[in-house]
This record gives sequence, C-alpha cells and structure tokens, in this order.
Amino acid sequence: MSYLQIKNLHARTGDIEILKGVNLEINKGEVHALMGPNGSGKSTLSSVIMGHPDYEVTEGDILLNGESILEMDPDERALAGLFLCFQYPVAIPGVSISNFMKKAVDARHPEGKAPAGPFLKEMRENMEYLDMDKAFANRGLNEGFSGGEKKRMEILQMMMFKPSIAIMDETDSGLDIDALQVVAKGVNKMRGPDLGLLVITHYERILTYINPQFLHILMEGKIVMSGGPELVKTLEEKGYDWVREQIAVTA
Amino acid sequence: MPTLNLPLTETPSLLGGFDENLLEQSRKGEHALLQAKRTAAFESYSQIPNPDRFHEEYRRMDPALFQIAKFSPMQIPEAAATYKALAEDTNYDVVISVSSEGIAVEDCNGVLTDGNLVVMPLDQAAREHSTLLEQSLGAGMVPGEQRKFLDLNGAFWNVGFFIYAKKGVDLKGGILIRYHNDQADTVLLPRLVVVAESLTRFAIAEQFTSPDNVKTLCISGRELLLDAAADVKLVSLQDWGNEGLHIGEDWARVKRDAKVNLFSMTVGGKVSKMTVGCDVCEPNANAYLGGMFFADRDQHFDQKTLQFHSSADTYSNMLYKGAVKDNGYSVYQGIIRALKNCVGVDSYQTNNNLVLDPTARADSLPGLIIDADELACSHGATFGNIDQEQLYYLRSRGIPEGEARRMLVMGFFDEVIDRIPFENMQDHLHAVIERKFGV
Ligand SMILES: Nc1ncnc2c1ncn2[C@@H]1O[C@H](COP(=O)(O)OP(=O)(O)O)[C@@H](O)[C@H]1O
Ligand SMILES: [Mg+2]
Repeated sequence: MSYLQIKNLHARTGDIEILKGVNLEINKGEVHALMGPNGSGKSTLSSVIMGHPDYEVTEGDILLNGESILEMDPDERALAGLFLCFQYPVAIPGVSISNFMKKAVDARHPEGKAPAGPFLKEMRENMEYLDMDKAFANRGLNEGFSGGEKKRMEILQMMMFKPSIAIMDETDSGLDIDALQVVAKGVNKMRGPDLGLLVITHYERILTYINPQFLHILMEGKIVMSGGPELVKTLEEKGYDWVREQIAVTA
Repeated sequence: MPTLNLPLTETPSLLGGFDENLLEQSRKGEHALLQAKRTAAFESYSQIPNPDRFHEEYRRMDPALFQIAKFSPMQIPEAAATYKALAEDTNYDVVISVSSEGIAVEDCNGVLTDGNLVVMPLDQAAREHSTLLEQSLGAGMVPGEQRKFLDLNGAFWNVGFFIYAKKGVDLKGGILIRYHNDQADTVLLPRLVVVAESLTRFAIAEQFTSPDNVKTLCISGRELLLDAAADVKLVSLQDWGNEGLHIGEDWARVKRDAKVNLFSMTVGGKVSKMTVGCDVCEPNANAYLGGMFFADRDQHFDQKTLQFHSSADTYSNMLYKGAVKDNGYSVYQGIIRALKNCVGVDSYQTNNNLVLDPTARADSLPGLIIDADELACSHGATFGNIDQEQLYYLRSRGIPEGEARRMLVMGFFDEVIDRIPFENMQDHLHAVIERKFGV
C-alpha cells in the first residue's frame, strides 16, 4: 500500500469539472514527476490534495497512510505530513517570516510550543544553505519578494516542516539558473526514505537536477500516461502531440 | 487657495456654554500673554460657522453627537498631585499625569535638570519662555484652514503643556502625558505646544482614559513646530471608557530636512473625531501619518488627514488601518494638497479597512487637491474581510484557523503599530485588538 493514494479523483469548482478521474500512488522514498500542458489541472490536483476550499471532490478518494483525508481541514492535512510548495505563494504584509515560521513550527510541536533556541538555529542554518540573507527573517512574508525569493521561501518551509509527502507545483517556472540550482539543492537535501515527492512541472528543465523515478502525464484532468525516467527523454524529443497520438491509438 | 473647509451652512454661534462668561473665567488671574491668546482664539472661534451635518466633513458624523451643551469643564486642582508610578512608566523619561487629583510631573531620568529640554505647564511657560510661547501657541495650524473646535480649545483649554527641546537634544525614552477623567458630564480641554529646535530627536505619547459608564467629552488641540532636521514622533492613544466622546486636532509644521511622525490610535470611547494635518513647508521636509482604529459595539470613529505641501521637494506618507465589527462604524477622509510650483513632491495616502462582519460599516473618502504639475501622488482605499487566500496559505502550513485569523488581523495592524516608538503602547494595542477581535 502506498503512503499517498489518489483514487479515481473527480473535482470541480463551480460548474466546471477539472479533475476527471485521477489515479496516482506515491510512497515515501520515491520521487515522481507530474507533467502536462498548461491548464491540464496540475495546480488543481495539488490544491485538492491540500484541501483548498474552492474545490469540491465529487467522486473518488485521497488516502494518506491508509486514511481518507477528504474531511480534514488544510491545517490538519499539513500536520498529518502533507506539504505544498505553491506555484504562486501569497504575500502577507505585517506577518514577519520569523513569526510565521515559529507559529507553524509550534503547531507541529507536541507541547504546542517549540523551544526558541533550537528553532532559531535550525532556521538560520537552512537559510544559509539556501543562500538567503539573515535579514529576511524580519520581512513581511513574501512581501515584495522576487520570484526566486518566494520559491526559496517555500523550500525553506519544506526543510523546516519535514513533511512525509511534498508536492512542488512548478517551483521551477520563472527561475533563473542560479535560483533553480538552489531550489534543486534544497530538494536533493530533503530526499530520502522519509519523504515522498511529487514534482509538478511543465518543462523538463528541473528534471535534469532532480532525477525522478516515475513520470506521469496529466491531460484534461486525467493521467494519460506513466513511465520511468526514459519517458522524460521521449517526451522531450516528441512533445505532447506524440502523447495525444498515443492516447488516440489506445482509445 | 483651496482649503479643507467648504462653506458651512450654519451661521456662526457659540457652542453650548463656551461663551464670554467662560472665557472670562478661563482668563482670570492668567499671564497677559495667555489672556491675549485666548481672546484671539475666541474671536476666531465665534466667527467660524457652526459645523453641521450638511457639511461634507460632518456628513458622516453629526456634530450634534457630541452634545457639547451638556458638558461643563473638568475641574483640575491647582495643587500639584503626587506622582504614582505605573509599571509602564519605565518606558519614558518624563511622565505627566492629569486627573481629578491634579497634575503631576515626574522627571524619571533627570532629563530636565540641564534645561535643554523643557516640559512644563503653559502658565509656567508663559512666565519663563514668553517670547517663544508667543510665537508658537496657535501657530501650528495650516494657513487658511478654519477649525472651530481647535479655536474653541485655544480659547478654553483647561490644562496645557509646553514641550521645548533646544538644539541637539536627543531623548532616548520619551515623554508620556496621561489624561484620566472620572468626572461625569465634564469636558477636558488639553492643549499641547511642541517646539523642536534643529537636530533634536524625541517622542511624545498622549493617552486618554476614563472609567466605563462615565460620560465625558474631550476637545484636544496640539501643535508641533519642527525646525531644520528635527525628528519628532507623537503618539495619541484614544482609549476612553465606553461613554467617552473625543474631538482632537493635531497640526504640525515641518521645516527643512525635518521629519514628523504623527500616530493616531483610536480604540476606546463612543464617538471620536480626529483630525491630523501637517504642513511640510521647506525642501526635504517629511511627514508620516500613521493611524489605527478599531470600532466595535456601536462605536463611531471618524478620522481626517491633511497632507499639505507648501514647498517643492517635500514628502508625506499616510497609512491608516482600521477594523470594524458589531455595528461599529468608521470614516476616513483624507486630502493631499500641493501648492502651485511645488515640484518634486512625493505624497502617498493609503487607507485599508477590515470589515469583519456585515453589521459594521467603513467609509473611506481619499482625495487630492493639486495645483502643482510635477509630483508623484497616490491614494487608495481597500475594504474587505480577512483575505481567504492568505488564510488558506497559513492553514496549509499547519496553523489552526483561529490562530491564523489572529495573525492576519495583527499583521494587518502591525504595519502601523510596529512603527510606534513605545513598546508598552504596542503591547497595549495588541491586547486591545485581541480583546476586540475576540479569539
Ligand atoms: N478556481 C478556479 N475557477 C475557475 N476555473 C479554474 C479554477 N482553478 C482552475 N480552473 C481551470 O481549470 C483548468 C486547470 O487549471 P490548473 O489546475 O491551474 O492547470 P495547470 O496547473 O495544469 O496549468 C484551467 O482551465 C483553469 O482555468
Ligand atoms: Mg499550475
């Protein structure tokens, strides 16, 4: 049994059905890539997994460690071990990074309050690892951040919260090579037997830094093809039109 | 020249008991300088038409709400009161308290001994610093404005202080003036005159309280005169009990390279109308106007700002943040005004409102009156409940809903509160927000 199981997932917002029966299993220790053209439903899938209130699950289930999470609030899902690196993280002026990180780490602590010393030390070390300026900690969360700074901020949180399943929604898009390498460095540090990773992207670019073991292709709300690392190469060479032809053949 | 005041429809008259008799009582036994100032203010007060609810400025806050005729002046004994220290006083160098027991002035850290910093009642200042007081009392007003309540205060103030910093004074702690009115049906009329010579740096806090269920009125007037490169911060905390009524006017004139910070925090009382204005009148003069207000349980708060640029190359930035809930009602009106030929003016005006439930209301009327051609100005207002995407973001990080909402409300206000120079005031405001927000 996989740690995260997505079974025949249908979801909609308003009257629009976006996910039309997604099946996907991710185990701890595995790295999966999810690719698909713009508008195929990748961000929607990650929002539905995290429990965004705008989306309604109409059919199917999501199981984490064997238990359905559909009735859980986003904060309960986070504490159960899910983490989402947002494609477009919101800015929250007035809430400083240090205050925000402390509250989020406190929420994970068995006594509701993490000791300040070790927390600050760990945060400082991780920020250094991601080439982030110490002064960042006093800034408003994502306030006036560049694209690269926002993505580093997301990776920093992933390193601090230590999820069992992390979803990275196009963390690579809009980044220059330097920022991309830093992001990849953070991800590769996190890799290991305790983390299952779903890397969503629509370029192959990040996959040269993060080698996934599995690749899935999402089109029009369905996973239409899955494979190993060799599929990344084929897709790179032949493009989504080839995928469309393949589906037409099998259908 | 355009002014803040459009024509008032009512003809001038004296308000309530604020007449010649009371003027004579107020003048009795006073230094001639103060007597002359009172008479001049009275003349002006009696000629300004009465504010009424048909006037744009008062359309959303009827002056009749202040029931001025019902109040007689608060009695403040002549004899000095003994100073009673509060825990928070450690934040300040000088603490003044004004109450039914009288006036106490405490120089906690001996900052007044060398005479470079002067903090004293106006009558003493009239004797010891008459030339300076003659020049400064009543001089903070933006030219051309007609402010009936400010002139009323000028004629009838019943407690007043003079703060004067000589060149180079750099005060670490700050000056606190605490007003407490426990006399039912009385009006407190405090006056504050602040003169900052060049290269001075200091901060002042004024705090107003009264017991719940005691009807009080306050009509306050303050003026700040900043000379070159002075840096002065003023924090005003309206924290009255549930029956407090408040009218306050703050005016600052800011000269070359000087910077004023005017904070107005309204959380207590029943009805409150604050007007804060600055005249940045020489190149590189800079003003920051920071405001916070939180109206709940039928509270009605009105705030008005005027950023007046009478010189080229001047800056002003205004940020007012308010929340309303439980039938609370808030009004913000602001004006940026720049005179002709004032090039290189930067002026910003932002009013953000958190409307926490549908029983509450927030109105915002930002405005510009520009005669100059070359300047950067922006003004804007926002309204809304807690942002759902921000809430989702925090919750997706494991922070429970209640805590996430609390963080967002605090964060909303902290953009202003974080700039207040007194930590105890910050803590106090956080506690008030927590209580009003009810988590
Ligand atoms: N909240 C929403 N309201 C309306 N349409 C939405 C919403 N979220 C997603 N969609 C639509 O669903 C489709 C999939 O969007 P998305 O999941 O963002 O795709 P991807 O991340 O793969 O680019 C798009 O057509 C998009 O317009
Ligand atoms: Mg997307």
